[in-house]
Amino acid sequence: MPPGADREYWNPKNELMPRADLERLQFVKLRRQVEWAYARSPLYRRKFDAAKFHPDQLKSLADLDRIPFLRREEWMASQEAHPLFGDILAVPADRALRYHHTSGTSGRTPLRVLDGIKDWHWGAECWAYGFWGFGVRPADIVFLAFSYGSFIGFWGAHGAAEKIGALVIPSGAMTSEARVKQIVEIGATTVCATPTYAMRLAAVASEMGIDLAKGSRVDKLILSGEPAGSIPATKRLIEEAWGAKAGDTAGMSEVGTIIMFECRHQPGGAHIIEDHVLEEVVAPGSDRRVAYGERGERVVTSFGRGILPLIRYRTADMVEKVQAGECRCGRTFDIYRGGIMGRWDDMKLVRGTNVYPRAVEVIVREHPEIDEFQILITREAPLQDEITVSVELKPGREAAWPALQRELAGDLAQAHEGLRFHVALAPPGSLPRFELKARRLIDRRGEA
Amino acid sequence: MAREDLLGRPMTPDEGELLDIYQHLKRMAARDDLAPCVQSNARIALAALWQIVTDLDLSYEQVYDLGV
Repeated sequence: MPPGADREYWNPKNELMPRADLERLQFVKLRRQVEWAYARSPLYRRKFDAAKFHPDQLKSLADLDRIPFLRREEWMASQEAHPLFGDILAVPADRALRYHHTSGTSGRTPLRVLDGIKDWHWGAECWAYGFWGFGVRPADIVFLAFSYGSFIGFWGAHGAAEKIGALVIPSGAMTSEARVKQIVEIGATTVCATPTYAMRLAAVASEMGIDLAKGSRVDKLILSGEPAGSIPATKRLIEEAWGAKAGDTAGMSEVGTIIMFECRHQPGGAHIIEDHVLEEVVAPGSDRRVAYGERGERVVTSFGRGILPLIRYRTADMVEKVQAGECRCGRTFDIYRGGIMGRWDDMKLVRGTNVYPRAVEVIVREHPEIDEFQILITREAPLQDEITVSVELKPGREAAWPALQRELAGDLAQAHEGLRFHVALAPPGSLPRFELKARRLIDRRGEA
Repeated sequence: MAREDLLGRPMTPDEGELLDIYQHLKRMAARDDLAPCVQSNARIALAALWQIVTDLDLSYEQVYDLGV
């Protein structure tokens, strides 16, 4: 066994650091990152000046509230005013090593991000905390079910697996059938995929007559890209289909890597990588920081990427932070219970009732007969919004339909203050499948 | 006098050695008279050392001006 392969933590010095020291470390890094941004990024200098904030005012973490938030709209506006990357850049774009992008707020222009050499290594490093924490070791064979495009996705995961010394299998433009075949043939032990795609691969394997739980060596699934990785019912389905443990992670293109990971003890949430990011939870629509255990909006400050400093960035991610002690792994990194629980900005209001796509998914996934689903919201007449959940059944489960329709409609209504849900049967293969971020909710109310 | 990390704790001998290697690589990366194969790979090595000294709380700084 290679030296270090049996150790529990990727960076024991920091992962086991007493909270008081960890917060001192965060302050040192925050102060330097803020000084850097003020000195080098026109956008931050403008924002800080407008807020009458100067880095010298930062004396401790208690002064954090003096720093203005950064919002996605500001970043997008900066890109529009100063194409291609905006005046958020702290370093000229020609120093960058990598370009990636993600969907823009308006849907027309992408949000573009850059990384320098050490930023790119740093992104992989954060993934390495998660990989190692979930048990990936040099002897593992890591299969990345990912298309390797401009979306940052699992690029950092690839780098992490290489850092650890595992054998990396990039699957690029392969079909799902070819991926299943290779996972089995090469003896992959770890698969990285979105939760939705992990389920899709299991379904494809089943169609090929392969039971992944018995016919593959996969014992670890590392999930990312969707909240479903921490939805217990969805996770259970994935783990049963693969006969493997599933670990949730979450990150974003704006940071360039993951900011949290589930360790092998699976505490029902994900540890925040607190020596590399500073995470706050604030009340939505407010500047007020919420207490442990209270649900709020995630605000991130990154200590990694410096070419695009990210300081107090409001993510709209819905989270609930709890103390590290809720996990028995020994890490002092706090936990987001339930991972990313949804979005503050994807809530839909249907006849006065709040509907979260994630909440619907939780209920739908409690019915193992269902293979795929889609939520459609329409406006039939003024003040008459209707919500329909279309479901596709797994092959051979058609007999369950009449009872399932009644049961699911009842479950959904019960969980949504009595709101009437239509439940419809979709023909096999008619609903879209997703490799990356699933978009299962269609809201047609704004369409002409 | 013992060298200290970012939190004022004394560095171990290994940590001091790693920080020295990092400082050496910074000096190499700053030179513009080296062959491309040396300069490029020195920058990649510096990125790796940056990660080590940052992970161990020995240093925290930006190194873009060195091409990293």
